[in-house]
This record gives sequence, structure tokens and C-alpha cells, in this order.
Amino acid sequence: MIWLTWRQHRKQALWTAAALLALAAVLVPTGLAMRSTFQDSGLGACLRALGHAELVDNGGCEALSQRFGNKYDSTAFLAVLLVLLPVLAGVFLGAPLVAREVENGTHRLVWTQGISRRRWILTKFGLVGAVTLVLSVGYALGAAWWLEPLADNGLGRLRYLVFDVQGIAPIGYTLFAVALGILAGTVARRVLPAMGISLTAFIAVRALVELFARPYFLPAKTLTYAIDSPLMANRFAGSWIYQEGVRNGTGALVLPDGRIGCGPEGGDSAGCLARIAQDYGPAPLTNWQEYQPADRFWTFQAIETGIFLALTVLLVTVAVRRVRRIS
Amino acid sequence: MTESALNTEALGKRYGQTWALRDCSLELPAGRIAALVGPNGAGKSTLLHLAVGLLRPDTGQVRVFGRDPREDPDARADLGFVAQDTPLYPDFTAAELITMGRRLNPRGWDDSIARDRLARLGLPLDKRVGRLSGGQRAQVALALALAKRPRLLLLDEPVAALDPLARHEFMQALMGAVGEYGTTVLLSSHLLNDLERVCDHLVLLHTSQVRLSAPVDDLLASHCRLVGPRTPDGAAVPGVAEVVRASHTERQSTLLVRTDGPVDENRWTVHQVTLEDLVLAHLGTSARPTASEVAA
Repeated sequence: MIWLTWRQHRKQALWTAAALLALAAVLVPTGLAMRSTFQDSGLGACLRALGHAELVDNGGCEALSQRFGNKYDSTAFLAVLLVLLPVLAGVFLGAPLVAREVENGTHRLVWTQGISRRRWILTKFGLVGAVTLVLSVGYALGAAWWLEPLADNGLGRLRYLVFDVQGIAPIGYTLFAVALGILAGTVARRVLPAMGISLTAFIAVRALVELFARPYFLPAKTLTYAIDSPLMANRFAGSWIYQEGVRNGTGALVLPDGRIGCGPEGGDSAGCLARIAQDYGPAPLTNWQEYQPADRFWTFQAIETGIFLALTVLLVTVAVRRVRRIS
Repeated sequence: MTESALNTEALGKRYGQTWALRDCSLELPAGRIAALVGPNGAGKSTLLHLAVGLLRPDTGQVRVFGRDPREDPDARADLGFVAQDTPLYPDFTAAELITMGRRLNPRGWDDSIARDRLARLGLPLDKRVGRLSGGQRAQVALALALAKRPRLLLLDEPVAALDPLARHEFMQALMGAVGEYGTTVLLSSHLLNDLERVCDHLVLLHTSQVRLSAPVDDLLASHCRLVGPRTPDGAAVPGVAEVVRASHTERQSTLLVRTDGPVDENRWTVHQVTLEDLVLAHLGTSARPTASEVAA
């Protein structure tokens, strides 16, 4: 069975390896360039000195950060390509697994040999799953390495797209995609419709979890500080900010999506406070943000991965049952 | 009493509201070479798929040498199957398919059976089977099924897509193998001519039900065509158990009958029937046959 799986999928394995090498050929040079700029410009040292406290005296990193951002923020679009990789495993490895056999009638050849089709499907899923698992670990490590300077420069690892391509979540996504592809194959029983179904369903489930579940994995924290505080929220803390703004003495959000700093370094702190109170009153005005702190990254990763692994187990169970009904 | 190779009891399979096979009870003794005949859509493939364990019955049960083909791994080892259109992985070579068979059949497999057969036919082992002709692919599929050393070999219209020469060669190869290994065979086809010469048992399916299941010799002995004076439909004829088909002219009746005793030979001229006459007559009785069914 192992021999058969390898014999049937070796071409796919070679194509996958070739595609990943091509991707690495793009990512490794850009990653190296990004990392050397990050260090050589002094940004790395500056951010290390700044630390990851939530409130800091925002100092000299801003200019360096802007310069780095101007040069490299646009390359972050490559992360969008990386996000798509797991679904490709589902579409090209998962969907044809059963569908191609049924479409060509070869399931009647292979399922009438001496081994049960339960063993057939579990071995196939096991081997294809194991290979994609190894690939997805490599992919997650590579993506984390590549994105690290961008994440450190204020993007944060919890942010959409950045979160999705590193840590352990890609393992969950990839195995889920493969299982979904296999199940779609047992439903559609033809390769192209199975591919279409698995693509659509994968995007739908990912979007649902991403938009409607992930923000609620843990209750958000709030951070408040007076507008004349000498410390400001640390833009480089890596927090996932849901909302921020300025609230006045009654608690009303008077300046959404903004911050006010009347700190002492600006000079006339008292005059600044008075002007602001006139516009937004009554005092005291506070900067406010609702957010997930950066140190919850692994908790969020574990929950997200858990959801997708549970879905994988469910889909494989259903697929095995469905395979038993195909003739 | 001989062992029963295939035994079904009240076997039924339904797709939605439509019965593909209904109330099918038949017994195929070991050692027989049985033809499974019927028009397209009569349930031949369904019966074979049930027998080989690809399908789960909705009613009744199916046993292969007394075992459930779906649940019992020993039953799987006893079965060889050549599916319709002889599906093979087109990018595998014959040698690779033989390797596959060895690895998928831990309970019994003989490489040399497949290799020798293909060598004798002059079939290349290292060529992708997708590049072989239809007849050659069918031979590869047969060789794979035989290398399992099955006690019951089921074939679903293996020759339907082949040209007459390839068909002949395939049947010859099949019969040679069956003689060599003593395999019991159930072979479906809508081409009765191919089966008539080689089969000693007939299973006739029509409109999802078993119409006949008996040794060919018994069927030929018990059926005959009577030609005699005009006899109204439904009139009892001494010695006749069933009038399968009747046709009348003004003064004369021609009856294809199943007998259960001596027929009055003064009144009737008795003619032997061929298997084909018999099958066509039985297909015509249960329902008005369509053109395609008659052709079948």
C-alpha cells in the first residue's frame, strides 16, 4: 500500500518539491535582504532597546521604522501567496485522491484486491497527510523567518495573514485542506468538481473562523492611559488592536481610531490639555485601546490549530464512511 | 453436493426509489462457468458489484464460499474481479501493476501467473498500459485477476469494448486459465454469442430480477419449440410447464415452452432450441421488450 501510494503520487511529490523550491528561490534572497537592512540600519538594535512593554516612551525608532517600512512593507503581499499554499494541498493532493479513482473506474480495481478500502483510504490519507505535515512545518518556519523583520517592525505576529502562515496553524490548515479535498472527492466523484468544492469550502471555513471565531478566542484586554501621560502605547509591542480611540470623562468615544499625546516632551502640556478638553470635553480624556496582547500568540495558535485538527478528524471520519458506500 | 461458490438470498439493491436488483436468490455451484446475461440496465453490474463486495446490499445477503465479501478478508482473497472497461492505472507498466497486486494481496498472490501469461501473449511488461490496445489492456486485467489465484472469478462485460479478434483471444485466454486452475467463473455480457460456446450455466436477469438460473444443459433439455395447430393463449398443453413465448398464424401456433413431461408428438412437432432462442424468449415474456433489448 505504501509502495502504491508512492507510485501514484510521486509525480505530485516532485511537482510540489519543485514549486516549493521556486518559492524559496524568491523568498530566501528577499528575506536575507530584508534582515540585513533591518540590522544594518540600526532598527533591530533600536527595537530591542525599546522592548515589548505595552507603554513606552516612544523614542527614536519611529524614523528608522518608517524608512524600513517604506522599503519593505509592500513585499508583505507575498504573505498573501503564502496563505494560499495549504488550499493548494487540498485541491491538488486531496481532491483527486478518491475522485480520480472513481472517475477512471480504477477504484474497482484497487478495492477488489486483498486489502480493505478502509485501510486503503487511511493509508493514503496517512501518507499524504504525513508528507504535507512535514512540508507545512517547513513552510511555517520559513514564513516565520521571512516575515520576522516585518512583524517586528510593527505588524505583529497576531495580525491577519501574518498569524496564518507561521507557528503551528499552517499544519492544521494543510491537514484540513487535504481531508476536505478527499471528502469532496467522495461527494463529487469527479476530479474537477471535487477541486472546486474543496477550494470554495476551504476559503469559506477559513474566513468564518478567521473573522467570526478567532477574535473571540480570549476576551480582549483594554489599555488606557491619560493623554498627558509621558508614555504612549508601544506600536512595536506586536498587539492585535481591535479598536482604539480617545474617551472623555463620560466614557464616550470622542475620537475613534486616534490617539492624543499632550505629554511633557511637547512643551505646553497644560495648554494642550485645555484645547483638547474644549473640543472633546469633559476631562479627563484618556487614550483607549481594545486588543489582544502579543504574548497570546501561542495560545491563539493552539486554539486555531485545534479547531482545524478537530475538523480534519471529523472530515476524515466522514470520508471513510462515504468511501465504503462508493461502488 | 458440490460447494456453492456464490449464493445470494433475497438480495436487493436500491438507488433512491429504483431497484437495481430485487429479490435475487441464486446459487452458483463451484466449478461452473456461468454466463450472466440480460439487457443493459437489468442489474448485471449491480449483482457483480454486490458479489465482489463493492456494494452493500439493501436487502438479503450475498455469500462467496459461505463468506460475506464485504466483511471477511478471506472472502476478498477468494475473489478475482475484472471490472467493466478493464480499468487499470494508465501510467503504470504491467510490471508495476503486478508489483501492486503482490503488495495489495498479502493472503495470496503469484507473480509468475501474471508474468507467464503476459509473456506468452507477447505483451511488453515495461510499457505503460495506457499505451496498450484495448485487447491488450483486457489481457493485463485478466492476468492480474488470475494472479490472485481466485476461487471465484467475476468479470463485468470484459469483452464489450473489444473487436471480434481481441474478444476471441480474450475468451480463449480466459477458458485456458479456467481449465488450468479450476476457477469458478461468472461472466456478464450482453453478447450471448461469446458465452454460448463456453458457459455451462446461465443466469438471466431482466428488469432487476432473476429470470433463470440453471445449468445450460438442463435449460436446453427442458425447453423446446412446439409447432402445431392453432392453440389459444392460456390453453393448457399436456407436458408443458410454462409457455414462454407464443406466436400464432391463422392455423398454426409456435410455442417456446418449458416442459415437465412428454409432449404429444402427434399433435406437435418438437424442435430443439438454441440458448439464444431461449434467452430472447424469456426476455420477451416479462415485459414488452424494447428494440435494444431484443438486440441484446
